[in-house]
Amino acid sequence: MVFAITACIYMACNIGANDVANAMGTSVGSGSLTFKQAIYVAAVAEFAGAFFVGGHVSDTIRKGMLDPTIFSDAPLHLVYGMIAALIAAALWLNISSYLGWPVSTTHSIVGAVVGFGVMAGGMDAINWSKVWSVVMSWIVSPVMGGLVAFLLFRFLTNQVFRRRNPLLYAKRVLPYMIFMVCVILANAMFYKGLKNLHLDFSYPEAMFYSFIVGAIGFFISKPLAKKIPDVPKKEIHKQLEATENIFKYLQITTAFYIAFAHGSNDVANAVGPLAAVVSILSSGTVAMKVAMPTWILALGGGFIVFGLLIWGRRVMETIGSKITEITPSRGFCATFAGATVVLVCSKMGLPVSTTHTLVGSVIGVGLARGLPTLNLGIIKEIVMSWLATVPFTAILAAILFKIMVWTLG
Amino acid sequence: MRTILSMFAKSPFKPLVSHIDSVNECVHLITPLFKAYQSKDYEKVEEIAKNISELEHKADQIKSDIRQHLPQSIFLPVDKRDFMGLLSAQDDIADAVEDLAVLMRIKNIDIPEELCEPLMDLVTHTVALANDACGIIRELEDLLEASFGGAEAEKVDKMASSLGTAEYEADKKQFLLAQKLFSLNDLSAADLFLLNELIKKLGGVADQSEKIGKTLQIFLSR
Repeated sequence: MVFAITACIYMACNIGANDVANAMGTSVGSGSLTFKQAIYVAAVAEFAGAFFVGGHVSDTIRKGMLDPTIFSDAPLHLVYGMIAALIAAALWLNISSYLGWPVSTTHSIVGAVVGFGVMAGGMDAINWSKVWSVVMSWIVSPVMGGLVAFLLFRFLTNQVFRRRNPLLYAKRVLPYMIFMVCVILANAMFYKGLKNLHLDFSYPEAMFYSFIVGAIGFFISKPLAKKIPDVPKKEIHKQLEATENIFKYLQITTAFYIAFAHGSNDVANAVGPLAAVVSILSSGTVAMKVAMPTWILALGGGFIVFGLLIWGRRVMETIGSKITEITPSRGFCATFAGATVVLVCSKMGLPVSTTHTLVGSVIGVGLARGLPTLNLGIIKEIVMSWLATVPFTAILAAILFKIMVWTLG
Repeated sequence: MRTILSMFAKSPFKPLVSHIDSVNECVHLITPLFKAYQSKDYEKVEEIAKNISELEHKADQIKSDIRQHLPQSIFLPVDKRDFMGLLSAQDDIADAVEDLAVLMRIKNIDIPEELCEPLMDLVTHTVALANDACGIIRELEDLLEASFGGAEAEKVDKMASSLGTAEYEADKKQFLLAQKLFSLNDLSAADLFLLNELIKKLGGVADQSEKIGKTLQIFLSR
């Protein structure tokens, strides 16, 4: 048990340190947030996302991909397996970040769970249809992120940047965008999310409250937008600068949004296996349906924040000092699209990679002629690392599992 | 540690602007160069020529730097060939200016009285034209920000169109000047040839300036 918790903490810290930098990178890079502000925003949002929405994805990793009944005879094997999976994934993350490869924490843990599952119970132990849907989501999520970002950016160019007076239209669009972010966020939290706080809303109820939250955001931002001073139409350069300034506010909201989405999706990578271990050790049997203990989600969320505070700081600092070619409006589109896709996937219980989805949405903005340059070489690296991640963690987890079974019985 | 930010390669548009800055400095030297040549201050010609060749070299370095940092895997919001064409048009302006200085240093010519005024007129016109072309490149950053649309695009389009008209004017002036040049009977063949070359090089500056405007219009239309 202690061992499992340690492995989970190790994994959570890793997630906090590495992935959060990707999630928040565009906001820091465009200068909308200083790295300190980004840390605070990330800390709050990651924890909230992990705590309120993290349960769905954790369930998938814990029991969705494996057939727990094959472990009925030897429940301890599932415990060993999950610990092996955690260690394998965390090791792979450490190796790849040392080598500078952009690997996904999600892919690592899914590969590891499948790996020990096959080793323990043969091919039949795996719920292949679920694994398939997870793998499909890995392909679909970057594509969806790209599509949403592309359309959102096209919408903004037509509604704002291609107008004679972009500033005026940006001010008009601002409250609606805030409304959207608020509604989606609130909905994710209220619908099935507040179970942890013993508040269970039905879907219409959740929707209703979300709209209230959205309306509050709308009516707060509207007068604020009006207060922003006008710039004469003739001065195009100043107009464009002022417009970007408005997008800074929007980008800050989406920074919160993506950190929330990331927390909701990625906490599972650390706590999913731990939850399985805990449920077996406390009941002694392999149960199909166990409620996700709230304290585990809180633990995972807490240590993601811890990892981010300890190591993520350095990564963020480097990003903040680097000059990037992304402006707040472009960053907003990419982040908003990425976060929405990740959040939707989380709600569906699909563990997707936040980083890869964001890569997709950045490419989407680029294809819509939003970025001065795009280094497409990274796509090749991502595909390569994706191909390497699953086999590696699968084999490593399988080996670790065998070793544990031999030595511990 | 690799982050998502490695996707954002260094923008080639910024060095493109610093390239045009060097080119623009060359262009600024055209008028003093002709003035010195006309007033037979050959030491000054020598000095300006040296200045120009330094600036041209600087522009050349920026150009090869851009070319080297534009690998196949870089995605641009404009056609890569158009971008390269823009870069070589800019570079050709600097080259033409350098050629002007080289031609002047070949032989010291007494420019006939009748040519002085129309020649300076063509010089002034061409310099203004080239200056405008340089100015249009400085709009690129705003144009990117406006995603090639809106008021900024209209502004650039207007600038490009006026470049076209100015180039047409330059052609006319060049033709009249050539007519005048060839109607002079007391000019040696060598002087005639050299002066004609100078006029042709000025025409080259005007042509390349117009090409810059044309390329930006292509950017807008995509």
